[in-house]
Amino acid sequence: MWSVPLLAIAAVGASALLFDLSLPLRLPGNRDWAEAAAVLRVRAGPADAVQLWPPWAERARLFVRSVPVRTEEDLRAADYPGVERLWLLALPRVPLAHLARARAALRQRGATAGDEVRFGALSLQPWELHGPRVVSFLTSPLEEHEVDYVPRQCTLVRIGPPGDPGRLQARGQGGVMHVRAGIVGERAYQGFRGPVRVDVQVDGAALATLTVPPTAPSEPGWRRLEAAAPAGEHAFTFLVSARDVDRPFCLSAWTTAP
Amino acid sequence: MSRRLPLALAALTFAALFATQSGVGFVRDEGYYFEAAKSYEQWVALLLRAPAAAVRDTGRYWSVNFEHPGLAKLLFALSHLVFTTWLGWLPDALAWRLPALASGALLTYWLAVLGAQRSRAAAVLAPALFWCAERTFFDGHLACFDVPICALTAGVGVAWARALGLLRPWTSSSTPTPTPTSTPTPTPHGLFLGFLFGCALGVKHNAWLLPPVLIVHALLLPAPLRRRGLRTLPWLLLGPVVLFASWPLLWHDPLRHLSDWISFHTQHVHYAWYYLGRELRGPPFPIFYPLVLLALVLPLPQVMLFTAAGAKLLWDFAHRALSPLRLLELGLAGAALLPFMLRNTPIFGGIKHWLAFVALLSPEAAHLLEGSAGLAQRAGVLRSRGLLLAAAAALLPGVWQIAHVHPYGTSAYGELALGIPGAASLGMQRQYWSNNVTAVLPWLNAHAPNGARVFFHEVNVESYRAYQQAGLLRADIQYASGPWDAQYAALQWHREFRDREPETWNAFGTRTPATGLYLDETPQVVVYARPGLPGAP
Repeated sequence: MWSVPLLAIAAVGASALLFDLSLPLRLPGNRDWAEAAAVLRVRAGPADAVQLWPPWAERARLFVRSVPVRTEEDLRAADYPGVERLWLLALPRVPLAHLARARAALRQRGATAGDEVRFGALSLQPWELHGPRVVSFLTSPLEEHEVDYVPRQCTLVRIGPPGDPGRLQARGQGGVMHVRAGIVGERAYQGFRGPVRVDVQVDGAALATLTVPPTAPSEPGWRRLEAAAPAGEHAFTFLVSARDVDRPFCLSAWTTAP
Repeated sequence: MSRRLPLALAALTFAALFATQSGVGFVRDEGYYFEAAKSYEQWVALLLRAPAAAVRDTGRYWSVNFEHPGLAKLLFALSHLVFTTWLGWLPDALAWRLPALASGALLTYWLAVLGAQRSRAAAVLAPALFWCAERTFFDGHLACFDVPICALTAGVGVAWARALGLLRPWTSSSTPTPTPTSTPTPTPHGLFLGFLFGCALGVKHNAWLLPPVLIVHALLLPAPLRRRGLRTLPWLLLGPVVLFASWPLLWHDPLRHLSDWISFHTQHVHYAWYYLGRELRGPPFPIFYPLVLLALVLPLPQVMLFTAAGAKLLWDFAHRALSPLRLLELGLAGAALLPFMLRNTPIFGGIKHWLAFVALLSPEAAHLLEGSAGLAQRAGVLRSRGLLLAAAAALLPGVWQIAHVHPYGTSAYGELALGIPGAASLGMQRQYWSNNVTAVLPWLNAHAPNGARVFFHEVNVESYRAYQQAGLLRADIQYASGPWDAQYAALQWHREFRDREPETWNAFGTRTPATGLYLDETPQVVVYARPGLPGAP
């Protein structure tokens, strides 16, 4: 009985040390990363992307160069336009990895898993997304900006005053049009500013409007709009306006087969 | 108990901090304080050459970094003047940091004094518990004010206790015997208390909280001690005199400068701070933020012991079983923490703003740790063995944390957070102050072509210059204002600056880093190079 406090301290100290000393064993080494990257180099195709899990595990970028790397945080809601197969590259043994949650989120969006391969402390698993086929990218998928702390494939568009809105024009095929937009950086959280309005026109006729208010967590700052655009090739115009114009604003749009 | 043990421990602390400081990067604030110290050194040189001109021109030299009092920066300047400018013994940064290292030693000394009121073992364990964690150890190296004000808080506490006769005399081996007599406070003790309080005022505004603590402490003491306490309090009036003397900016137009100082801190901006998955940008902040953060960053044994120490002090307070000295420790610890639980005080900067909370709990925590060995003795465990086991269990995880993470102290997380990767998954601030950039400076020196422009992101221009002055960064490397203007970028991973990385990808046309600092897999500093440049992937 008298030894209980000492034993408790010894147990806490030993547990802490055990955790500290065993942590490196839960983490991948350069060789693990290189092997995973080599497999991706061989097996991944042009419609593939890599999703890191946990999303902070971006040391992968040093090794994975053949496939676009994504660090989405909400795998159920994330857009992967143009991606048919998503490689989930994960650190399953890292504390609080919650890999099962990531897999469950992918399943919930209808994705189906392939065989998992392990490289030391790394896990690599292909997922067929079964998403709709992209018929036109109306903005460049090569440019990226941060919205809601996640790098997004989107194009910066100037915000103009309501009488002289910023303008982005593109030609593409109709179908289901997907528009995503958000304010870049910390200015997204300045609640005193007004919303940004995105008017979408097809061949000069109004199609839909998306309103992007200042981000108030836990509401998303990356706003979504889906609208049906008539079939065939069209001129799409996005008019961006707000009372406060000095904010970087990013817009992404693409159409998928109906 | 003699002074030898606290002095030896202080010397050991100084040696440990001195030996491990070279890898510690220059945090953003140090950049400003180095610039201030340069300006103050010029003033000191002028004072020695032309005293009247120096007294007349205080504003010109002392307006730099007007928002903090002058004493610490004056000491940085004097140290540089003596050890670098005159003697040429020390490199610039080490000379500026020397007084801060000394304040770390002083903190050890005063914690050992407080611990020694319990036992010799507690005198050793109290400072050891404080320092055996990377966050505190890291802060001990910086030419900043956090460890100095922490030390002076403990020092004022010791001086107050000495003035009230709460401390065991150095030469006696008897137990502490408060002397609640009606004899007045011996002048040297009161003078020393006033002087130390003035030094605290001259270092950082945390000192504003000390008089209220001492007043409340005096009022809660038994009658004879209360009278002595109330008679001792006027010595604190020396504090503003020391503040005035050590801060020449106040010598002209003092009311305006005092007003500027106070209003800077009462209207301080709130920096975005990542905490449990959300960015805190302004009040109201979570009430238990400082306690949760301490629990997540300190090694687990310290978390347990400090929690036990705080609980024991509060329990004994509630049951009127606190000795005057322990009551003082509780008051000082509480005053260091409580402002950050008001929900509107700026909370950025990790645990550095309430280090005194940890420090003032250390003697009680040490006592409890020692007590566990004492209890085990009754079960037949040799006391020395029990003490050794307890000390090893309490300190080794912290020693490991230092060995594993130093000098990247602002990134350290303890076992409750499940280490640095666990903290990343929990959504905690990855780092701050930009000092981790030291990890990639050798790479930049080796690869960047002559005159290369580098975007250093959170590293301010003052720290950039300090790196060049210290020889850690090549002198020809230029400071770029953004990725669009740079050939290389050294990005510090912050949630709130997440836009900088895609901005760099777009500007450089690559998403592949050239190198980086990754602690337990978590990105801390990521370096990009424009394709085709040396070192580019």
